[in-house]
Amino acid sequence: MADDKRTQSLMDKVWNFFTSLKLAITVLIILAVSSIFGTIIEQNQPMEKYQQVYTDASVRIMDALNLFDMYHSWWFLLLLVLFTVNLSCCTIDRLPRVVKIVRNPKTTLDEGLEKSLGLVDRWKKKGALDAWVEKYAEAMGKEIGKPRVTRNSDIVHLYAESGVVSRFGVYVTHLSIVIIFIGAIVGNVFGYKGYANIPEGGSVRQIPTRGGTRPVDLDFEVRCNKFSLTFYNDKFGNPTQQPKEYASDLSIIENGREVLRKKIVVNDPLQYKGIWFYQSSYGPTGAATAQVAVVDPAGGPVTGLALAAGQKTALPGYGTITGVDYQPNFQGSGPALLVVLEKPGQPPAQVWLPQGKPDVDRKRNDRYFFSFGGLTQGFFTGLQVAKDPGVNVVWVGCTLMVIGIIIAFFMSHQRLWIRLAPSADGRVEIVLAGAASRNRLAFEKKFEKIQDDFKAVSA
Amino acid sequence: MLNVRLFDLTTLLFGAASVCYVAALYGKKDTIARVGTWICIIAAVTSTAAIGVRWAESYKMGIGRIPVTNLYESLVFFAWSVNLFYLFVEWKYRNRTFGAFVMPIAFITMVFAFTNESSIQPLVPALQSYWLHAHVITCFIGYAAFAVSAGVAVMYLLKAKREEAKSDGGVIGLFPPTKALDDLVYRSIIWGFPFLTAGIITGAAWANYAWGTYWSWDPKETWSLIVWLVYAAFLHARITRGWHGRRAAILSIVGFLATIMCYLGVNLVLSGLHSYGGS
Ligand code: HEM
Repeated sequence: MADDKRTQSLMDKVWNFFTSLKLAITVLIILAVSSIFGTIIEQNQPMEKYQQVYTDASVRIMDALNLFDMYHSWWFLLLLVLFTVNLSCCTIDRLPRVVKIVRNPKTTLDEGLEKSLGLVDRWKKKGALDAWVEKYAEAMGKEIGKPRVTRNSDIVHLYAESGVVSRFGVYVTHLSIVIIFIGAIVGNVFGYKGYANIPEGGSVRQIPTRGGTRPVDLDFEVRCNKFSLTFYNDKFGNPTQQPKEYASDLSIIENGREVLRKKIVVNDPLQYKGIWFYQSSYGPTGAATAQVAVVDPAGGPVTGLALAAGQKTALPGYGTITGVDYQPNFQGSGPALLVVLEKPGQPPAQVWLPQGKPDVDRKRNDRYFFSFGGLTQGFFTGLQVAKDPGVNVVWVGCTLMVIGIIIAFFMSHQRLWIRLAPSADGRVEIVLAGAASRNRLAFEKKFEKIQDDFKAVSA
Repeated sequence: MLNVRLFDLTTLLFGAASVCYVAALYGKKDTIARVGTWICIIAAVTSTAAIGVRWAESYKMGIGRIPVTNLYESLVFFAWSVNLFYLFVEWKYRNRTFGAFVMPIAFITMVFAFTNESSIQPLVPALQSYWLHAHVITCFIGYAAFAVSAGVAVMYLLKAKREEAKSDGGVIGLFPPTKALDDLVYRSIIWGFPFLTAGIITGAAWANYAWGTYWSWDPKETWSLIVWLVYAAFLHARITRGWHGRRAAILSIVGFLATIMCYLGVNLVLSGLHSYGGS
């Protein structure tokens, strides 16, 4: 027996520990304070970087405490587990009591209850008890809600309430936290984050993932049809170096067929089969090439060339042409290309070809003349790839959290009791009492008004 | 530009209002405080107009975006929110002594904004999102509520100390009773907390839409979580016996310091994705 009692009390102690609000406050504060470290110490950097910044001894200590990846460290996760256990125990401990209050409200205003309530008033009225019951039932209906009537011999109790749901706001909020955690775990276990760099015209089937695990094989292909980049203009309308938008025209190809095509930009991703592709970065593929048209003055265009910088290109029956310089604004008239023309047995000739004047080279009276059609730069698009089957669970949790907090804070469970009893002097004694689960100051004012109104009710 | 001049005017008005409220407190003259209120209302009009003008001017420049995307704009938006939230509280509680503790926060913020680059800059692609509006507006209403709460918490601490000493004269005697102050510290947080929660959630939704990760523990996110945890601790402390009053007031002040760290410290001291404030 005695043994039993001791284990019982130990169990009680453990239970009390896990249901206590003090633990909750402590854990919240520990979580808050410890989180600061990870914002001061840069997370997940290569070890060499830490060794440059900190002394060897402090690197060793911080590494032992997992401070370089603290939000995924065992002790931080343990804190989160403790937090969740605390929250769950607290709910298990309290929710049944609240359900009881809600399902079996105290509908009679007995002495004990009357003493425990702060807002109580009493007065007397002449007349028949039943008539007053009716009057006050009606008045209560207007203020809070239709009252329940309980008769105990010649004493009548009226009880009305409003905003019962507010009692559950806290639990909705707490539950939402658990739901968010579940969503996060599902996402971590069953999802992945990866990236893909696709050159224009190229496609990928395999996604390298972050964290070094094996790349993921897609059961479809992602192709980048085109990448485009636009810049903001300055106040004179000339383009600046500030990117305004970068966009990738993507296609999803499944079994050799294009099943989806979309132009994505930052903040507007593409989704297929639960896998999301986000525009994240870009870069050039190789060097730019200059487009040059070769024209026969008599017979029209002969061919088009793509010149890489500095590379000699042979033109059969003519010689070679080499692009050697490019200027975005040549003598104030826009982009131009400088080419060197070499013909057998002749000194090389340098010619500027402005993009805006395709015929300017004609006046050289050569066998061919050349016109510059602009620079072409190939790009690759950098995509973030993510699959997160838990994300919708997280959004459900977030929505519930906001709803729960609003219910908890801005609704109040308001209760009003009236007891009517015949008094010794032949009149009816009326006792009015009220309680609110929150915003008591506001309810006090409301109660005062009810007091005045109810006292003024006449037969 | 016109908007910047209007903001400069607002700065002066906030300064004048602060002086009025403080002077009224020391001179015990309600008329001066009433002048303070009118100045606050005028400042609300000019700053709202300034935000509107700036918005319109950004469209004229072909940039077209809500003016809350760099440090200057976020500071003036914060001061704007504090002023409006304060006017609401003053009207609701019919007490002007709060002004001496809250309006200087708005004034100092504007002076700080004044020292920052104020021209309208184009948006980098990452910030071009409708989530930006929802995110910034909810966060800043939350911050403003916390600012008011902390200002009142300071009043609470002063008043409580005076009451302990059993002397009720002087400037502090004019403060509302501790019970009302304590209540207001709490009520402001009750407004701030849901907005901060919504701010964190819209931020997460946005990050998810832009990068595919709703939470990446970058310093700004983490600090917003720290702020949130401190106020969650505050709310639970309030329902535990013995944590009303003094300790709750201290937690409110700590919460606001964390808010300032989250809002400014992260950009000025630490690094991260939200680096727009640093430039
Ligand atoms: C960050 C996490 C948490 C949030 C956002 C949160 C939110 C809330 C909110 C909004 C309230 C209502 C406060 C009020 O009525 O003034 C509340 C009450 C409460 N919370 Fe939490 N909570 C959290 C964590 C916890 C934890 C870990 C526990 C564990 C014991 C807990 C236990 C309680 C209790 C017992 C109440 C009072 C319920 C009542 O009024 O009967 N909370 N919580």
